[in-house]
Amino acid sequence: MESIVSTFHIDWKIIIAQAVNFSIVFAVLYYYALKPLSKLMKEREDKISKGISDAKTNAEVLDKSVKEYENTLAKARAEANVLFQKGTKEAEKKKTEMLESAKSEAEAVIINAKKILEAEKIKIIEEAKKEIVSLAMIATEKILKAKIDANFDEKTAKELNNL
Amino acid sequence: MEKEGQQTTVKEQISYETTLFAEPILHYHGFTITNSLLTSTSAVIILVIIAVILRLKLKEVPGKLQNIFEVIIEGALGLCDQVTNNRKISVKVFPIAISVFFFILVNNWLGLVPIGGLGLLEKTENGLSFIPFLRGGTADINTTFALAIMAVISANIFGILSIGIWKTFNKYVNLKALGEIFTKIKKDKTVILVAPITFFVGLIEIIGEFAKVASLSFRLFGNVFAGEVLLASMASLVAYVIPIPFMFLEILVGVIQALVFSMLLVVYFTISSTDHDHEEHNEHNTHDEHEKINKESIIISKV
Repeated sequence: MESIVSTFHIDWKIIIAQAVNFSIVFAVLYYYALKPLSKLMKEREDKISKGISDAKTNAEVLDKSVKEYENTLAKARAEANVLFQKGTKEAEKKKTEMLESAKSEAEAVIINAKKILEAEKIKIIEEAKKEIVSLAMIATEKILKAKIDANFDEKTAKELNNL
Repeated sequence: MEKEGQQTTVKEQISYETTLFAEPILHYHGFTITNSLLTSTSAVIILVIIAVILRLKLKEVPGKLQNIFEVIIEGALGLCDQVTNNRKISVKVFPIAISVFFFILVNNWLGLVPIGGLGLLEKTENGLSFIPFLRGGTADINTTFALAIMAVISANIFGILSIGIWKTFNKYVNLKALGEIFTKIKKDKTVILVAPITFFVGLIEIIGEFAKVASLSFRLFGNVFAGEVLLASMASLVAYVIPIPFMFLEILVGVIQALVFSMLLVVYFTISSTDHDHEEHNEHNTHDEHEKINKESIIISKV
């Protein structure tokens, strides 16, 4: 043992001094470099992992909302289609109904007009008949007067022309 | 002519031999300051300056220096993980291991700095001898011895903190194994043979701890000292060009030796923080489970 100590000049004072040297290195490196650097790296790692998880969640939410949007759109389209079909049918129905009612009204108007016309016709005929009768009576009266009057033929012809 | 003759005799008398021990360069109140102590103090100053600069320049968006350190730290932590297989232990051991790594690395490299050519001429029994100011801190057994002692002691302290004082004590003085002679003798009679052997193995572990100190310190010292001798020999053979590849080799050896020392330190820390009883218990449980599965498979195959 002594030979080792003397050969290598092992000195406890230097050993302690070297131990102190290393302790200083350890303390300074730990408090000034490793601890704050590790903390910073951990914070950054946490931030990155949080960012990744947030991005994942956001992507999932986006996916979900796109799907929801598409579903809602498809649903709305289907509903709109149904409503459109329903509307078209109803419109068709209303159209036919209106057409039919218009037709029936027109027919009624025509019938009514025909009736009125018939009535008017009858009335006109009646009036014409009355007028003819009255005219015939007037003519008869005038003819009768002409027999009395010498100028009967000429006057009668003029009056008849004026009618 | 006479003067020239005198100069040559003086040159011939100067000894440039690399000694096994660090040479003293100053004596201060009974304390000898050796050239390796001076180098290791320089290493401390360099590391302190780097650490302070790093602390001052620490930013969320890293600069060049911070980037280099971040890469080193991540790599070192990954290496620690490979040894420990446990992130918690890695995180605890890592600061000591990386401090040891940097301390040894800077010491190794400082020994290669050409400023080693500056030094003192001292009169000895064999004439004048040249004492360089810088000698690799780790090329002195005192430095490596200090590091090895600190490593082994702190590994045991870490073991006590991790698994408790009783289990750490039982690793060396296995009283538990001796006690098993009385508790398990009825179940297993072989315990009377096994328990004393286990106790003796524990005692060998104590010697193993001293062996760890010796192996750690002499390995590092031997490699670095051999490197310095190699460089000196090459330089004395051919002064120019030829020593350059060996210089690069020594730079590499410096990294490797620092890495080996710090990795061994991590291994010792991991071993001391491992509860062997727990492991044995786990192994026993796994064995039982295997047997159970085997039996089940036999029954199934029969059915």
